Amino acid sequence: MDRPGLALIVGLIIFIIAGICMALVALVIGKFLRTSLPHPEKDAAYECGEPTIGNSWVQFDLRFYVVALVFLIFDIEMALFYPWAVVYKDAGIAGLWDMLFFFAVLVVGFAYLWKFGYLDWVRATHGQRPSNRKISADDAMGRAARGWQ
Amino acid sequence: MALIRAIIKHPILSGLLAVTIGGIVVLTLIVAFLDQIKWVLSDQFWFSNILSLAIFGGIMTAVAYCILLERKISAWIQDRYGPNRVGPLGLLQPLADGVKLLLKEDITPGHVDKALFVLAPFMMFVVALIGFAVVPWGGTFRWPWMDADATPLVAQVASIDIAVIYLLAVGSMGVYGVVLGGWASNNKYAFYGAMRAAAQMISYEIPLGLVVLTAVITVGYLLPVDHAMDCLRLEGAVAAQAPHAASWTMWVVFYHPVAALLMFIAALAEANRAPFDLAEAEQELIGGFHTEYSAMKWAMFFLGEYAHMITSSAFMVCLFWGGYHLPYCTWLSTDESALAMLCRIGVIGAKIAIFIGAYMVVRWSLPRFRFDQLMRLAWKSLVPMGLVILAAQVLIVYYGWPQWISIVVNLGVLVLAAIASLTNAMPISGRQQSLLIKEKAAREKEYELQHAGV
Repeated sequence: MDRPGLALIVGLIIFIIAGICMALVALVIGKFLRTSLPHPEKDAAYECGEPTIGNSWVQFDLRFYVVALVFLIFDIEMALFYPWAVVYKDAGIAGLWDMLFFFAVLVVGFAYLWKFGYLDWVRATHGQRPSNRKISADDAMGRAARGWQ
Repeated sequence: MALIRAIIKHPILSGLLAVTIGGIVVLTLIVAFLDQIKWVLSDQFWFSNILSLAIFGGIMTAVAYCILLERKISAWIQDRYGPNRVGPLGLLQPLADGVKLLLKEDITPGHVDKALFVLAPFMMFVVALIGFAVVPWGGTFRWPWMDADATPLVAQVASIDIAVIYLLAVGSMGVYGVVLGGWASNNKYAFYGAMRAAAQMISYEIPLGLVVLTAVITVGYLLPVDHAMDCLRLEGAVAAQAPHAASWTMWVVFYHPVAALLMFIAALAEANRAPFDLAEAEQELIGGFHTEYSAMKWAMFFLGEYAHMITSSAFMVCLFWGGYHLPYCTWLSTDESALAMLCRIGVIGAKIAIFIGAYMVVRWSLPRFRFDQLMRLAWKSLVPMGLVILAAQVLIVYYGWPQWISIVVNLGVLVLAAIASLTNAMPISGRQQSLLIKEKAAREKEYELQHAGV
């Protein structure tokens, strides 16, 4: 280990391995110390004492998926920004405005998400949205003719 | 004889006695073998390894005592005593907790996904721990026995070119621990907790990344031109904030006060701490993602959470709050003696401790967010604020505009956000919102029907 720089990088790997070993030791050492009294009640799912109904590995709300998609786009944006941020002062005017254009495209996407309510957690469902509630003239006339008014 | 017995029985004196005897033994051993360990301590590779052992020990102790401190602070805020039975002032409580958790029965319920169930706490703990590798604790120094022209040692475990990205990556891997734990538990509460935690942690990662990027650009601007490539290294970030003859306001927080605030908020959310602890929300979800866990596996989630707090505090301190530098203390920043190195470790430790104290006071004084408020805060306040600050900083640095503009931009963004939040009345709840929409729709329908009939 002549160069301290190399030693410092190897230090990272050793640190990670040591961290993993430490967690393993903490998990394993208790096996030799602790009691084990299995019981069918202990094997059951704990849901406040209520009998469990069905499995929990079920379909879940689509909104989580939308959040994940938006996150993915912004995270990739940032992953591209980091190397650029180190060198952009030397990259000239094209390097600056290219990236800012990319930035602007994402901001437009962000504005779209905002405008159309994809960032709202509690959303009006399709039928509740005012724009989808236009009653056609025929329908209105029909209702009027039937004396609903 | 009676005196000795009295000392042994006294809780504080016996502790002092044990520490004194232990200290004498350790010091004697160090002095006796100093010649043998000198070369080990003078070699960067071995020094890094010894330091990493010291860090593991220190962090584990710090985490254990953080939990005690948290309980003490909560007791103080709620006007209780807090733990005070085990040892003097309850100081041995973490030890007793550790023994209890080690001896407790570790139940793995029959319905879980066994492999992922074990992997989740393991992952949570490991990723929180390995972030410490790149934190610059004490800068460069030489031992007293080293030659004056020898290459100085670096009081840091690892020095990689992309330490900032490494810390972000390792920090965001914490979400795997939570999601895998909740999914593998096969319990509905755990599953809801995990889903919430996943959405929350990935949402707050965006503002976190944006403000870290702002800080990186500022650091690149503050560093001398031939070292500008060091701005992704944490020691580069710390070096950029050294006290300067011209001004002492070299910390990035003085350029970007609001960005530092955003980072604090995002770091709270990333660590799943209150007011962002919806993943645990004991009133709604029992324990959230760790409902089915017990004993050591359960403890690892908490050790991971507290270790994550320390890592993110260290990250914040290094990027925004000057690392181990203090204003006007040029000796502290430039001296290469071992004493100065120890002082620097003390300074950075004190700064981290201040942040941990802030985390705890925030946790015990603010109520928990509701989930839609949480998502709105991330996507509709923090992300736009972060985007504006980042774009402004990019232009300021590129065109060499004066740096006070960044302070104006920061405060302006904060003022605009405050105005927007005050003028844009948000519905109190989702249910109220949908009721309002229904009401409006009914009014519209009536209006249209009236006009259709004319």
